[in-house]
Amino acid sequence: MPPERSRSDGRVGAKLRELTATDPLGRLGPEDPWSAFRRVEIIDLQLDFRFRHSLGKYSRFFLELEHQRLMATRCPRCETVWMPPRPACGNDLAVTEWVELPGRGTLAAATECAYTLTTGGGKTRLTLGYVALEGASTLLLQQIKNYGDARRLVPGARVRVVWADAAVQHPMELFWFELDT
Amino acid sequence: MLGGGLSKFAAERPDGTPVDWIIEAAQAALADAGIEPESIEHSIVAYESEIIARQLTMGQVVHDALGLCPRPSVRVEAGGGTGGAALRTAFAYLRAGLCESMLVVGADAMGRQVPSTTVRQVYAMSGDVDFEMAAGGFFTAYYALMMQEHMRRYGTREEQMALVSVKNHRNARFNPMACMPLAVTVDDVMKSPPVAAPYKRLDCAVLADGAAALVLATPRWARERAGAWRDRARVYYIGAGCGTDRMRLGDRPAPYPGLAHFRAKREAATMAYAMAGLTDPRRELDVAEVADPYTGVELQSYEDLGFCRYGESGPLTERGVFDLGGELPTNTSGGLIGQGAPPGAMGLAQAVEIVRQLRGECPPERQVPNARRGLADIHGGTASFSVVSIFERRD
Repeated sequence: MPPERSRSDGRVGAKLRELTATDPLGRLGPEDPWSAFRRVEIIDLQLDFRFRHSLGKYSRFFLELEHQRLMATRCPRCETVWMPPRPACGNDLAVTEWVELPGRGTLAAATECAYTLTTGGGKTRLTLGYVALEGASTLLLQQIKNYGDARRLVPGARVRVVWADAAVQHPMELFWFELDT
Repeated sequence: MLGGGLSKFAAERPDGTPVDWIIEAAQAALADAGIEPESIEHSIVAYESEIIARQLTMGQVVHDALGLCPRPSVRVEAGGGTGGAALRTAFAYLRAGLCESMLVVGADAMGRQVPSTTVRQVYAMSGDVDFEMAAGGFFTAYYALMMQEHMRRYGTREEQMALVSVKNHRNARFNPMACMPLAVTVDDVMKSPPVAAPYKRLDCAVLADGAAALVLATPRWARERAGAWRDRARVYYIGAGCGTDRMRLGDRPAPYPGLAHFRAKREAATMAYAMAGLTDPRRELDVAEVADPYTGVELQSYEDLGFCRYGESGPLTERGVFDLGGELPTNTSGGLIGQGAPPGAMGLAQAVEIVRQLRGECPPERQVPNARRGLADIHGGTASFSVVSIFERRD
């Protein structure tokens, strides 16, 4: 948030402004039970986080993306193939095994977004889709790019993985899907 | 249900903090119940984000501010379903005999004290962080993907969703505590800026500052101690249900719930109806507050709450079934879209509205005549957690 112009004399560095708040219910004078508490000071506070975040037992998925491989996990008991992978099966808690999936599948649903708030940040437009990869029992959320007309983003449309050439910030930016026409 | 109260919900309330708003709501609830704070035996404090609030252990801070020390208290959190979870927890504590009177309060600071991009990034962490958030995912997009599938399966149209926006903003005009009282048309909604297709700005609830509070008690305690129980219509909490689903939409089984439906909500509703003895909710309920973070979610919820068959919610909305004066008036408070959406408060605010409706104490413009039974439905995530509560007036 950009700092607001300070109306203080500079003695309190964090002070952004002071104001006289009105009762949000519109009560005036003695009808406002909080009339003695309407003088408000707004100060600047900052809270920064930087994580040393382990991707834990999911790490192989992200590491193999650097080698252009899409890794899922398969439950040896119920044979569900989880994509995104799970180290323990979400159905029966059995320890799963890694399997590589081909980078082809079909689109289950897609939405064009006017902005994104995470990868890329800010007002960047993006399109997100759920993809049913061949061999997977579940759907993978990923960005859909270079499709042209949005009317082509129909459920059942064939898609294929495309790998990033440029350096990226997060491993999930190493790939996206495009229509396979 | 002895009483309820709200603070003003607003897009930004620089005049106070979440603790201040909770005090306002608690004062209103206690006055409504006709009891003094010293007679409260236990509190539950509901809020979602200590990061946005910049306050860990806010439950203890609130309990202290309300003058309830040294009596017991517990904090409850379940994302957007936080208020509903708090309500059901209160029910459980009272039924278990851990206390006989309970003050439940909830709030979140969702306004503009931090940039909306920061708020949305923080709340995106209530979904899958490592895969979906990292791919660019955020909640409006997840809900949009659900509705894309609903539209594909059933032919639901954007104009039908827009009618929910028109209704809820209109109902909010008769609610002085509401954040977004607006007279908007379907055309206004359709022409509002796109967010994530099919959702546009006026399809979306507003992040808001606000608080809500409720006083609950056992019938025995109410008879002996509460002025409201002697003087006012008596409202009972007769059914509580809870359900869950996988966090990622893509991990949910198909075809049901698939991407289009709320399995957790159906589970919660089934449980609540069984407890309350309801078998035909659309006919047996008189009023409902239904989760509406986005217009399409309200339509989807009608179906999983059993108000209609799958795919019927759009056409029934066009017929006015869920309008004031319709068969089952829904979100008479304005809902999350019209009243505002502070996560810790909104499930409680729904119950406050239902209690007032059942007592016949709403402003006449939004009062449902002779309402005897009502429902509150709220969820967190993309309904990875869901709570349904049923209330009944008994004269």
